[in-house]
Amino acid sequence: MLQSSQILTASTLAFACAVVQGVLALKSGVWKQGRMQLMLMGLGFLLQTGFIYLRGQDVGQCPMKTLPDILVFIAWSIVLLYFLVGSAFRLSLLGVFTAPLVSIMQVMAFLGGFEAYPPRGKINALVELHAAVALIAYAAFALACITGVMYLVQERMLKRHQIGGLFYQLPPIQGLAQAIQRLVRLGLLLLSISLGVSFALETSVSNPKLVFSWVVWGLYAVISVLMWRHFTSPRRTAWLAVIGFILPFISLWIVTHA
Amino acid sequence: MPETTDNRSGLVCVGLNYKTTPVEVRERLAFPEAQVPQAVEQVRGLPGFEESVVLSTCNRVELYAAHSLPSGDHGHAALRDYLVKRFELEPEHAEAMVLYNLDADEAARHLFRVVSGLDSMVLGETEIFGQVKAAYKTALASGATARTLNKLFQQAFTVGKKVRNDTMIQRGSTSVGSVAVDLAEKIHDLKECRVMLVGAGEMSRTCAQSLLSRGAKSIIVSNRSHEKAVELAAEMKGTAMKFDEWEQALHEVDVIISSTSAPHFVIKPDQIDQVMRRRRWEPLLLIDIAVPRDVDPAVNEIEGVYLYDIDALQTIADDGRRERERQLAACERIIEEQLEKFGYLKPPGSSQPGLLVS
Repeated sequence: MLQSSQILTASTLAFACAVVQGVLALKSGVWKQGRMQLMLMGLGFLLQTGFIYLRGQDVGQCPMKTLPDILVFIAWSIVLLYFLVGSAFRLSLLGVFTAPLVSIMQVMAFLGGFEAYPPRGKINALVELHAAVALIAYAAFALACITGVMYLVQERMLKRHQIGGLFYQLPPIQGLAQAIQRLVRLGLLLLSISLGVSFALETSVSNPKLVFSWVVWGLYAVISVLMWRHFTSPRRTAWLAVIGFILPFISLWIVTHA
Repeated sequence: MPETTDNRSGLVCVGLNYKTTPVEVRERLAFPEAQVPQAVEQVRGLPGFEESVVLSTCNRVELYAAHSLPSGDHGHAALRDYLVKRFELEPEHAEAMVLYNLDADEAARHLFRVVSGLDSMVLGETEIFGQVKAAYKTALASGATARTLNKLFQQAFTVGKKVRNDTMIQRGSTSVGSVAVDLAEKIHDLKECRVMLVGAGEMSRTCAQSLLSRGAKSIIVSNRSHEKAVELAAEMKGTAMKFDEWEQALHEVDVIISSTSAPHFVIKPDQIDQVMRRRRWEPLLLIDIAVPRDVDPAVNEIEGVYLYDIDALQTIADDGRRERERQLAACERIIEEQLEKFGYLKPPGSSQPGLLVS
């Protein structure tokens, strides 16, 4: 019987292989959005799902309480959204940009170590829903960040007349700009739902977890308005999507240690 | 296991192309599209001939045939005589006609290279694939093909696809027009792309046509001579605009191709800065083909504006050509592998140049 840590190791290896395969394919110039990349990402995702299931069995609840568990859950949500968004927006190469982040997050989770949870009483479904939806929202912000990186790379090549290699594989910058906007809106919507659920919980409004979630919500609300009203150029909004993700990422530490 | 057939089912190819024959001669020997079915029948009807395909494009005229004559040389001679008679060439022209005469594996290799775009004037171009397919379909519809040519052409299409998929032979742009299209495609959705021509030079016209042929939404033409603008706009199914009005429409377009003969910059940073605000930062591609340049290079510093002058376009096209040339060896390797796989190559130690049919 495989242990959950072995499954997560296999998942991380699958994503690492997706990175290597993507880089080699790009280097050789014969990039195909094809099977190998999707298979590796799919395999990694299935193994991630298996890990979360087994971990849930181990701790007797949805495994979202410690930082390593949260990192794995967000990584899982990122890959899930990649499968949904990548094909919907025809964002070729999104997998190549996604796999490194997912691999790093899972390696960080390993370094953190998976502790046993203290025994807890009855599971509150609303708490679980609030946490899960918030983490999927963070995954949407992570994908917006990745798409922002793709935008900035493509934009730089266009400005500097560096036509070749990666340039031909990346989508048009206008499509990338639209994808960033949609992902930020999706994340904002999910985070709003999560925060809406929190009103039904018996949690103090001054709880640091909630305060930080509201700060993240505020940041992305501002970014979303700036994008929607075209107050800044797409390049600046791409930067905002990239830098903006630092806040939710840092907030994970604070939230889990609060 | 491949089996060797004798020369009675011999494959031959006789042809001429832009490398062997100047255009003045090629145009005399070209088969009009409507006459290709008749030509296919005529070749197949030659004594000893069983199958035929006629490929006639602006760059090449090639006859592919399967025959049961005693040797390939007889087949070549018969096809050469056919061309002389068909086009009623004077003896001196007939003698001066330079044809390539290919047998069995050479003919198959040649067709595989043609379909892959390796024998084209623009290395790796894709149009030839469709042209060969059309030629084969015409022959097929006329009932002029059978086992040998059906197999050969199906295999050629497989090889052509493999070469394009497994190498970068069609990657990059090799002409200024195709660079313009590639750039526009990496900025906008081309189907929503509105183009403006400022000045109606030959190269800007080529760029605009390339964009339109790839699906650009609309075109506005503005030129000092309004008559010329109207004429060009009609040709491209676009709109003509008076030369003193083009600045007012700048914010409505996504690609501007400029080629005026003005001795100074006609598009300046202040102007484009205003345009970008009105466009709400929608990206703008500026292609400056004029010499002296029409667009102040400082325009490229504005966010969302991408400026390419003629030197930049030419450099990208040159890089694209070099990149394709670097791919040649890989393409040839694939073709040789496929020739072997399909059984066209001579078995080791064989002295018979026969066609192998798998």
